[in-house]
Amino acid sequence: MNVPVIHGWRTLAHFVAQPLPEDWRDDLARRIGRRPRRVGVWTELAMYGARCCIEAAGESALPAGARVRVASRRGAWGATHAGLAQLDAGLPMPFTFMQSQPALMLAEVGRCLDWQGDASFMLCRDPQRLPAIAALGAAPAGLLLGLVEEEHNGEPPRTEWWRLTPA
Amino acid sequence: MSEVPGVFLAGIGLACALGDDMPSALAALGRGGVSPMPVEVADGVRWPVYKLAAQDGDWMQRLRAGVRKVVAQTGDWGPRTAPLFVASSSLDIGFMERAPQDQRLGGGLQDFADAVAGAIDWQGPVFTVSTACTSALNALLAAADMVRAGEPQALVIGIEPDNRFTVAGFGAMQLLAPESARPFGAGRKGLVLGEAVAALRLGSKPARWQLMGGSNVVDGRNPSGTEAGAVRAMCHEALSRSGLRPGDIDLVKVQAAGSPVNDAIEVEALRQVFAPLPPLVSLKSAIGHTLGAAGAAELALLVGCVEGGVWPQVGYPIDESLGISLCTQPPRALKHVLLNVVGFGGGHASLVLKDCEA
Repeated sequence: MNVPVIHGWRTLAHFVAQPLPEDWRDDLARRIGRRPRRVGVWTELAMYGARCCIEAAGESALPAGARVRVASRRGAWGATHAGLAQLDAGLPMPFTFMQSQPALMLAEVGRCLDWQGDASFMLCRDPQRLPAIAALGAAPAGLLLGLVEEEHNGEPPRTEWWRLTPA
Repeated sequence: MSEVPGVFLAGIGLACALGDDMPSALAALGRGGVSPMPVEVADGVRWPVYKLAAQDGDWMQRLRAGVRKVVAQTGDWGPRTAPLFVASSSLDIGFMERAPQDQRLGGGLQDFADAVAGAIDWQGPVFTVSTACTSALNALLAAADMVRAGEPQALVIGIEPDNRFTVAGFGAMQLLAPESARPFGAGRKGLVLGEAVAALRLGSKPARWQLMGGSNVVDGRNPSGTEAGAVRAMCHEALSRSGLRPGDIDLVKVQAAGSPVNDAIEVEALRQVFAPLPPLVSLKSAIGHTLGAAGAAELALLVGCVEGGVWPQVGYPIDESLGISLCTQPPRALKHVLLNVVGFGGGHASLVLKDCEA
C-alpha cells in the first residue's frame, strides 16, 4: 500500500519489514518479553510490525484513545487452509480455527501493546479509503494502521505499519 | 459552526431463523419462536444451529438471492452509490469448504463483500468488516462516522451464511450448547449459532430511530471470553459519546450468548455500570448467536419487536444466582436502548439507539 494520505494528519512513524529479518521472531520475543503461544504466523507478523512501529514513533505505549486498523488481502491464509483440511478429515482443531480469525490477531496485537481500545479489521479494494474512514471520528491520539500479509505463492511475507496523528 | 448531522435508521431488512422478512419473523416470534436444526460437522458430530430457511441453488446463488431479498426490504435506493459495509465473521468459508482443496482461498478476503455488492448491483465503495461477533456493530460505527462526515446514506449488511467450518471451530473450542440457547439460563451450556442476513440503511434524514454514540473496546487478555473491565469501558464510552448517563438507559440488549462463565461476568459488569439495572432483553434464544451479523440482526429484530408489539418470551428458567430477569414485554417508557455485543477475540462493542418518537 502506498503511504496513506489523510489531509491534516502527520506520520509519526512508518515501519515496513520486507524482507523480514531472519531473527524477527526472536526480535519480537525480546520486544514483548515473551514468546507468543498458540498464535499463527499472520498474527505474529502483525504483532511484530505493530510493536516496531510504536517504538519507531518513540512511544512507550499506544495511547488508550488511539484506533488500530488492520487490513490484509488474504489474512490468516495458512491457518484457514489448514482448518478446512481438518474439517475435510473430520478433525477440526481449536487452535487452528482460532488462528484463522482476524479478531484473534487484533486481540494479540492489543495484548502485545498492553493496550485496550478500538481495533478493527477492515478491507476495501481502494486502499486509500481505509485510512480516510479510520480517521473519521478518531480521537487526537490518532491511528495505528497496519497491512499484514503472510507468505503466499512465492510472495514474501510483509508487515507494514503507520502511526498517524492529527497535525 | 455547522452542526454535526445525526444518523438515523432509514430502513431495515432481516432474514433469520424466524423468517425471511420482518413480518414473518415477528409472526414466528409471536408463536413462540423456532427450534435450531442439527448441523453435522463430522461423522456423528452434530450441533444445533438456528438456520435460515432452505433455498434452491448452490451456495453462491443462495447468498445472492438472500442478500437481494433483504436489501429490498430497506426500500428503493435509486442510484446505489452510497458506501456499503459488509460485516461477517465467516465470510465465504461456506463456499470454500465445498470447493476442491486446490481451488480454495485462491482470491482474497474482499471477494465475499464484492459478491454481496454484485448481488445488488452496488456501485459505491465496498468495505469488509470482520471482527468476529462485533463485526456488524463495528460496521455500523464506521458507517455512522461517514454519515456524520457528510455522506447522505450508507448501507450495512451483517451476514452469517451457512457453513460447517465455523460450527466445527466453535464446537472444537467447546463453546457450543448441545441443545438450545439459554441466555442467562439455569444450566446453560454454551452458545447456539445462527445464520442471518440483516441490512441497515443509515441516513442523515431524521427518522424514528437515531444512532447515538457507540464504542468498540478490544481487550486481548481473554480472547474467547468476556472481560468485565472491557464491558464497563464499552458501556461508559457509548454513554459518554451519546451525552447520556446510565440512568438514561431504558433497556439493555445484552450479549448473553449462554456461556456459563461469560454471562455471569456480563451481569456483574453491568451491575457496576447501572444501579439499578435497567430492564434487560436477550434475542439469542430466538435467533441464535449470529456472530458477525449479530449487531445488525439483533438491532433489526429489536426495532421490529418494539414497532410490531411482539416481544421475545423466555421459555426456560433464569439462573437465580445471577439475580436478574429478562423482560417479557417492552418497558413502558422506552427512549434509549443500549445494545451490547461481546465477541470472540476480546471484542466488546456498544451502541445507543434513541426512539425519537418516545
